[in-house]
Amino acid sequence: MSQRITRAQIPIEELTITPGSACQGCGAALGARLAFKALGPNTIRHGIPCCPDSVTRTPRAGSVYEGGGAMLTGTWRGLKAIGREDVQVVGFFGDGGTYDIGLQGLSAAAERNENIWVITKDNEAYMNTGNQRSSATPKYARTSTTPVGSLVKGKQEMKKNIPMIFAAHGVPYIATASVGYPEDLIAKINYGKTVKGFKLLIIQTPCPVGWRFDSSKTIEIARLSVQSGMWPLYEIIDGQKFKLTYKPRKLKPVTEYLKVQARFRHLTDAEIAQIQEETTKRWIKLMKGDEMGEVIL
Amino acid sequence: MSYEVMVGNKATATGVKLARVKVASAFPVTPQTTITEYLSEMVANGELDAEFVNVEGELSAQVVVQAASRVGARTFVCTSGPGQLYMHHPMHQTSDNRLPVVMAVVHRGNKGMQPDHTDLMSQMWTGWLQLYCEHNQELLDTCLMAFKIAEDKRVRLPLAFGYDGYVLSYTAEPVEIPAQEAVDAWLPPNKPMPSILPDEVDPSTYGRGWGRGDPQMRWKMHHDAVVGSREVIKEVNEDYGKTFGRKYGNGLVDEYRCEDAEAVVVAMGSMTGTARTAVDRLWDDGKKVGLVKLKCFLPFPIEDFQKIGASVNALGMIDRNVCLGHGGAGFRLIRDSLYDLEDRPSVLQFHAGLGGKEVRVSDVVRVGEKTLKAARGEKVSSLVEWI
Repeated sequence: MSQRITRAQIPIEELTITPGSACQGCGAALGARLAFKALGPNTIRHGIPCCPDSVTRTPRAGSVYEGGGAMLTGTWRGLKAIGREDVQVVGFFGDGGTYDIGLQGLSAAAERNENIWVITKDNEAYMNTGNQRSSATPKYARTSTTPVGSLVKGKQEMKKNIPMIFAAHGVPYIATASVGYPEDLIAKINYGKTVKGFKLLIIQTPCPVGWRFDSSKTIEIARLSVQSGMWPLYEIIDGQKFKLTYKPRKLKPVTEYLKVQARFRHLTDAEIAQIQEETTKRWIKLMKGDEMGEVIL
Repeated sequence: MSYEVMVGNKATATGVKLARVKVASAFPVTPQTTITEYLSEMVANGELDAEFVNVEGELSAQVVVQAASRVGARTFVCTSGPGQLYMHHPMHQTSDNRLPVVMAVVHRGNKGMQPDHTDLMSQMWTGWLQLYCEHNQELLDTCLMAFKIAEDKRVRLPLAFGYDGYVLSYTAEPVEIPAQEAVDAWLPPNKPMPSILPDEVDPSTYGRGWGRGDPQMRWKMHHDAVVGSREVIKEVNEDYGKTFGRKYGNGLVDEYRCEDAEAVVVAMGSMTGTARTAVDRLWDDGKKVGLVKLKCFLPFPIEDFQKIGASVNALGMIDRNVCLGHGGAGFRLIRDSLYDLEDRPSVLQFHAGLGGKEVRVSDVVRVGEKTLKAARGEKVSSLVEWI
C-alpha cells in the first residue's frame, strides 16, 4: 500500500513540456505534471490519441488509438529482449483509450500481467474531438453527443466502473487519484514503482472546457468530487486487498459538486436525489470493503 | 547445413529461429495457426531465445511488434486473411515509423477459407514491401532475406512475404536448413534507428512530431524509400545466393525459359510451380512460351517488365487476386510499366485460383496458348478471362 508523503516530498524536477498543448486550467496537464515528477526521467511514454498529448520530456512513441495495451506490451518485451528492464514503460492515456476503444488490448495486457504502467487521465468524455460522451461520462452529464434536448437530457447510462473491471483481472496494483490531492497521487506512483507487473492509475482530471466551469476552479472541483464521494480515492492490491486513501468523516452532498458545472445544470431535483442515493450506496460498500481490507466487486 | 521434410509453416518458423528473432507476436488464424505453435514450442524448449507474445487479436500482434521494433528488437509477426485485414490500421504506423518488422502472410481469401492473394494485396497502400513465394525452401530463404532487406539502412521498412495457405502451409517438402553459424555471420543483429531509450534519445524529438515541415514530404520520403528498396532486394538476393547457394532470379522476378520466347506467362506464388510444368509442355510442343515469376510485388519491378516486354510480343498475367472494379493487380501494374515502351506488346489478363480454386497444368497451358496467339497477332476471344 502507498505511504503518505508531505507536499515537501514532491520532487522538484519538472518533466512536462511548457507551454504544452493544454488549455488554461487543464486537469489532465496537471495530472501529467504530478505523475511524471514521481515517475522520473528513465521512462518511455506512450501516447495514443488523447487530450492533451504533447506533455512530457521523455521519449514518446505513439500508436493507434486502440493499441495502447499492445504498445506498452511490445515496448516492455522489447526492452526485456535487449536487456533494458530498468526503463519504465508508461502509457498516459485518456478515458477513451482506457474505457472504450483500447479496453480489449488493455484487458489482455492485464491478463498477461505485463510490467507496465497505465495512467489514465479521466476527463469523462472524448475531449480531443470536442467533448463527445464516453463510457466514463457520468450519468445525466451533457456532452456534445448527449445533448440536453426536449426529449432526452444528457447521458442516460452509468459511468463504467473501470477500476473494478481491472480488479477482476487480479493485477498487482490499481489506484484512483485526483489532481486535487497531489500527495496522494504521488504516493501511489511511488508505491507502484516498487511493484513489478501491471499497474493502473486512474486520475480524475476536470476539464474546464468540457465540463463547463471557470478555469480557476479545477482544483476546487476535483476536491469536491472526492469529498462528495463521486470520485472515491482508493487502492487495490492483487485485485483483492482494498484501502480507501481518503475517508472524510462526513461526505459533502453531491449537489455541491454538480451545481458548479454547467454540464449538470439541467438536472432536476429528482435526478440529483438519484445520484445522491447511488453515491451514498457505493460509499457504504467501499467503507465496508475498507473495513474488511478486501475488494467487494 | 541439414535437410528436413517440412510443411511451409515450419519452414517459416525455422527461418524465424535462424534469424534469432527477439520478439514475435501472433494470433492464431487458419491457415497460419501452426506457425504460432511452432514458435511457442521453440521458445518453450529454449531453441529460440525470444519473447513470444500471445495476444488477443491481430491488431495487438501488429502493435506489439511495432513497439518492440522501436526499442531495437528484431521482430516477427504472422497472419492470414481476416487477421491481415484486422491489422491494417497499425500496419500504416509500422511503415510510417520505418520499422523493419517482418511478417509472414499465409494467404487466405476474403470469400472463404481457401487461398488467394487478396489479403496481402489489399495492404498495397500501407507502405510495406511485398514478396510472394513459390515453395517451402523459398519460404525459409525469403524469411532470412526479409530481415536483411528490411533492416538495411537504405530501406528501414517493414516487409511482408506471402505464401498460399494449405498449398504450402500444410504441405511437406524437403527443405535445406542452413547452419546457424552461417546465418549469424550473414545476418548481423538489428540496431534501432533512431533509439528511443531515455539515455540515448535525441531530446528534440520530445513531444509529438506532427505539424513540422512540409506535410507532403513525409509521403514522398516514404515512397522514395519503397522505390529505392528495389536495388537492395536485388543485392541481398545475389548475396544470399553467393553465401547459401540459392537465389531467386534477380530477387524481383525469376525468368524461366524466356530466352527466344515469343510470349510469356506471368505467375505469382505457388501457382508458379504449376506454370513451370505447363511451360515445359508448351516448349515440348514447339510453342515458345516463357514464364516470369513475379516475386517482388512491392516495389513493382517496372524496369524488369520493360525489358521483358521489349523482347516478347505478348504477356499473359495470371492474377490470383482481383481489385474489385479495377481488375487484377499484377495485370494493371504490368500494363502500366509497359506504357512507355515505343513498341508495346499486348497484355492479357487471366484470373485464376481465387477462393482457392484449383489451377491445373492444362489451365496454364491454355493461358500460354492464348497469349502466344496474341503474340502472333491472331485474334483472341477476350482480353480478360476467368479460368
